[in-house]
Amino acid sequence: MPIDSYRFLDFATRQIIRAWVRREPQASGPVPWAPMTKRLGDATIALIATAGVACRDDPPFDQERERRDPWWGDPTYRAIPADSTQGDVRLCHLHIDTRFGEEDLDVVLPMRRLRELADEGFVGCAADTHYSIMGYQLRPQVLEVETAPALVRELKAGGVDAAALVPS
Amino acid sequence: MGLVQRVLEAHGIPSVSLSMIPDFTRAVGVSRLAGIGYPMSRPMGRPGDAAGQREVLRALLQVLADATVPDTYVELPFVWPESPARARKGSDVRPPIADLLARKPWLLPKLYSGDIPDEE
Repeated sequence: MPIDSYRFLDFATRQIIRAWVRREPQASGPVPWAPMTKRLGDATIALIATAGVACRDDPPFDQERERRDPWWGDPTYRAIPADSTQGDVRLCHLHIDTRFGEEDLDVVLPMRRLRELADEGFVGCAADTHYSIMGYQLRPQVLEVETAPALVRELKAGGVDAAALVPS
Repeated sequence: MGLVQRVLEAHGIPSVSLSMIPDFTRAVGVSRLAGIGYPMSRPMGRPGDAAGQREVLRALLQVLADATVPDTYVELPFVWPESPARARKGSDVRPPIADLLARKPWLLPKLYSGDIPDEE
């Protein structure tokens, strides 16, 4: 049976997402495509999560401004060293239940699972650094013109061959 | 997330997205997408279920390896072990936008249409 995108959503969220799905196709152009240039078993992989993961040493994603302006969501990103565990980070995201990722970071940013897949040779290498944004972005201009290009620079500087994106 | 993926691809970084709402991510238009029938906030599976999380990640990365054309969409076979009501139980997520729209319901069409106000 095909996946029901709306099964786990509450009624209000379901209505909003349906409206967005109806609207979106007119907005998008051709789908950009970068081919894999290495076999998965030789490739260095990085993860990008949307759960608003921030190291405790770094500033949190700005939730106070979102409380003042609920149309706004912090459009910046955070780098997460690959050996971080749930004790080293906090989840700053007002639209998801952060308890699950705080209990087990791999639920939202599967860095240990990626290392295990590298150890068994399924992927070539797990990147040293992974990344998080905060997924609530109604005005995505900054995300698109500043944050995503900055992530590209980080990934290229880190020798990353491909990225896996994990929304929450 | 689809937007970030499009920028990565446009700059030469191949990528794959997981999505619990694949209808929406597909509408944005991305290179490689894996749909999963899991609830929000738990994309990789249940806390502590390392084996389950690992298989989701393995299946996600397999899409990265296998896809040969843009807009590749694969539905992952994993089934969440709880009903939607059970999965939501105990979650008390009330974002500021929900409170705002409860106070000013006439703003709801702006959220539907994507005509987002500059500032509240």
